[in-house]
Amino acid sequence: MKRTSRGLAAAAAVALAVGSLAACGSSDGGGGGSDSKKIAFIQGVSGDEFYITMQCGIEAEAKKLGAKVTTQGPEKFDPTQQKPIVDSVVASRPDAILVAPTDVSAMQAPLKAASDAGIKVVLVDTTVNDPSFAVSQISSDNEGGGAAAFEAIKELAPDGGKVLVVSTDPGVSTVDARAKGFKDAAAKDSSFQFLGVQYSHNEPTQAAKIVTAALQKDPDIVGIFATNVFSAEGSATGIRQAGKQGKVNVVGFDAGPAQVKQLRDGTVQALIAQQPDVIGSDGVQQAIAALDGKSTKKTIQTGSTIITKDNVDGDAKDAVYQSSC
Amino acid sequence: MSEQPILEARGLSRRFGHVTALDGADFDVRPGEVVALIGDNGAGKSTLVKALSGNLAVDSGEIRFDGKPVAIETPTVASGLGIETVYQDLALAPHLDPVANMFLGREVMRPGVLGALGFMDAKQMRVGAQEAFDLLGATVTDLNVPVGSMSGGQRQAIAIARAVHWANRVVFLDEPTAALGVRQTANVLDTIRRVRDHGVAVVFISHSMPHVIEVSDRVQVLRMGRRVATFETAQTSMEELVGAMTGVNGEAA
Amino acid sequence: MSVQAPPTSITTRIVRVQAFQILLVLIAIWVVFAILEGDRFATVGNMRLVAQNAAILAILGVGMTFVIITAGIDLSIGSVMVFSGVIGAKVMVAQGGDGWGTAWLGIAASVAAGLAWGLVNGVLVAKAKIPPLIVTLGTLGMALGLAQIITKGVDIREVPLVMQSKIGYGNAFGDVPMLAGIALVFLVVGGVVLHLTRFGRHTYAIGSNEEAARRVGLKVDRHLIAVYAISGGLAGVAGILSLAQFATTAIAGQSQTNLNVIAAVVIGGTSLFGGVGTIFGTVVGLFIPAVLQNGFIIVGIQPFWQQVAVGAVLIVAVYVDQLRRAAAQRGGRTNVLSRLRGRESTSNEE
Repeated sequence: MKRTSRGLAAAAAVALAVGSLAACGSSDGGGGGSDSKKIAFIQGVSGDEFYITMQCGIEAEAKKLGAKVTTQGPEKFDPTQQKPIVDSVVASRPDAILVAPTDVSAMQAPLKAASDAGIKVVLVDTTVNDPSFAVSQISSDNEGGGAAAFEAIKELAPDGGKVLVVSTDPGVSTVDARAKGFKDAAAKDSSFQFLGVQYSHNEPTQAAKIVTAALQKDPDIVGIFATNVFSAEGSATGIRQAGKQGKVNVVGFDAGPAQVKQLRDGTVQALIAQQPDVIGSDGVQQAIAALDGKSTKKTIQTGSTIITKDNVDGDAKDAVYQSSC
Repeated sequence: MSEQPILEARGLSRRFGHVTALDGADFDVRPGEVVALIGDNGAGKSTLVKALSGNLAVDSGEIRFDGKPVAIETPTVASGLGIETVYQDLALAPHLDPVANMFLGREVMRPGVLGALGFMDAKQMRVGAQEAFDLLGATVTDLNVPVGSMSGGQRQAIAIARAVHWANRVVFLDEPTAALGVRQTANVLDTIRRVRDHGVAVVFISHSMPHVIEVSDRVQVLRMGRRVATFETAQTSMEELVGAMTGVNGEAA
Repeated sequence: MSVQAPPTSITTRIVRVQAFQILLVLIAIWVVFAILEGDRFATVGNMRLVAQNAAILAILGVGMTFVIITAGIDLSIGSVMVFSGVIGAKVMVAQGGDGWGTAWLGIAASVAAGLAWGLVNGVLVAKAKIPPLIVTLGTLGMALGLAQIITKGVDIREVPLVMQSKIGYGNAFGDVPMLAGIALVFLVVGGVVLHLTRFGRHTYAIGSNEEAARRVGLKVDRHLIAVYAISGGLAGVAGILSLAQFATTAIAGQSQTNLNVIAAVVIGGTSLFGGVGTIFGTVVGLFIPAVLQNGFIIVGIQPFWQQVAVGAVLIVAVYVDQLRRAAAQRGGRTNVLSRLRGRESTSNEE
């Protein structure tokens, strides 16, 4: 029986640890009475400034409207990691879920199930194949953002030339739209040659490899549009590796601290900033409206801001993303 | 030389690069006798045992079994002939229990369809193992624990019991008493005699001259890869054996 | 004559198995969450989802348990899974249709693709004698790279409806998720093969002492190839099931699947040094991270804590394994807690 007691003791120790963790976890939530609305926010990937800024917008708006927010997110932008999180969040029965789906197909069924369970689902930033179950979809005007990125390159390289897009993964609706907006705008201008879209799988090292290889093939590239944070970071590294600083203009999408630093350093010439805080606060408003039985807007598109070295400390200061609230 | 050797090697040679491990070595053992194989470190004892048990190919030379030339290319061929080896490092699977080790590679299968599907007959093997241990007076206290958790003597007993259980003709024992205490050594030597009395040929490799003299019927001495002397144990002395091993007495025969 | 000490009783043996101790840990975790958030956590619906989400990993875990018992490792499973899913999806797209005919074709193609990678791993490990860590690290990259070449990096999302509705989100035996049902079949078969058949016995023997296995005449090379092929084949099964569940090839996903499965196998008491392990332990090892993640999210804890907790459980599990092996070498028995107690009592005396 000695050995059994050993196992039991170990189990008890673990139970204690889990219990104390859980206790401090639930006390974190704070505020809000028992009748306050519970909103769960599921990020596309945790630790990303875009989603952190969105979280800040959500938390600020929720506080204003007296709702309680918990935030969860997968380690990678990966539907196989996000699905179990969604399932667990659904099991915790919040009143509403704000979610950035990581795949248009994979997240369809789990989010539909959430909606079927009576939870109000708001899709933020990204979407799914058939979003009819969602009370609202809020995202940046990504095509518009892509077109803005082309405009930025055009201003930086008025003579035209070859342009490349470094994207994350195919099938992510938002980045696909950005690339499309860029491509369409480039097609309208005959002085520019569009070299196509390359995929970095959201890893800076991969983006750097793509860019160095592309510059080997086409040393006369004048502009690169990097569709998200990690792609921009990697593209800048790739240009530095190829020794092409100053010759290739990089326009990044998003405005995290790393991008802003790159902008100040001169490795990136312009940034297209989304408004994640607005997406977040709009999302909360729509969720609360749905819970109160009021009408909701099915789709909302938020705008974008072009940030350059000249306006980063002026007009566009507030467009920069936050790394904590 | 009244009786024909059960296993005989003639002029075995084997080189590893520049090292000549066996240089035309001869060897023979008859049924129902204990032959001690002795020699200094590097004399070629282990290489010879490996060659005779199917664990090593030789460059040249002939191996005869029951008077007929044979090619012992794999341990399985050796097993098929009734030759088993207990290695110095025992070659037991430490995480498996004594029964599993006893029947490793020779598992008893369930009859019928289950057997065809690969199911083992655990009960049958357990009974068989217990019988084999009892036969040798092996002190295996627990058939359910991994042999890795047992004492050196117990593991030695299991390894020998396994070899003897399957060998009906020849058993090689490579340093079986090296790591043992007095009582366990006595047990092993006792076991060797018992095996011999069943008519099995036992080849006993050892550095311990007292053990060699105590248990063997004949002694064959290897030096620098060849057999340099053969003695009837009853008519030799420890000094003579050591002399032959080190070559001090010249090529005694 | 043999001196027979009282043989170890069945209950003592069960209790001594690490898988059983780890099961107590799992139960403890479950009880804590049930107390904290009973009405949300301890529901049939929630447990169904936890089982469904662990199912694919469990199938991979069966193969990984065999591999690790041979003292090997298979890092390639996540990539092979993606590759197999891609092949299955390609075949089904080429065939067209939403029915079972197409689905079965895709299943066969996916399993065959996984099996092929497993054979490559096995031959390189057994015949070319390249360390498994290196072989499977190599095939990890190769399988993923080829999957990206075949698809040009674009996920395939055309999956027959029957696969999604009947396999991915269907039910078996009443209310059990189909995926969990399928996983259960593989777990039972895997456990039976490992613990009751000659194949399983030889798997342990090779991992315990490869040289000894060779000397008794086991066909070690052939056996290793078979074990890696099983792991690859099961990755093929996992690939097609993932396709059914997610309706996408998720090429960018599964990057940590190999490590998650290895962690589960090791938590479950399978020794990385080979010779020891159970399928049951692997199942328990899979559910600890799954239940922790689920429970933490329901209670509302930062997701990062889950990784911290699982990491700690992993290290403790391996530490227990180390103590056990050290004790086995001394010829004694392990008793982890008594060691800890021993230390405590000495410090108390001071």
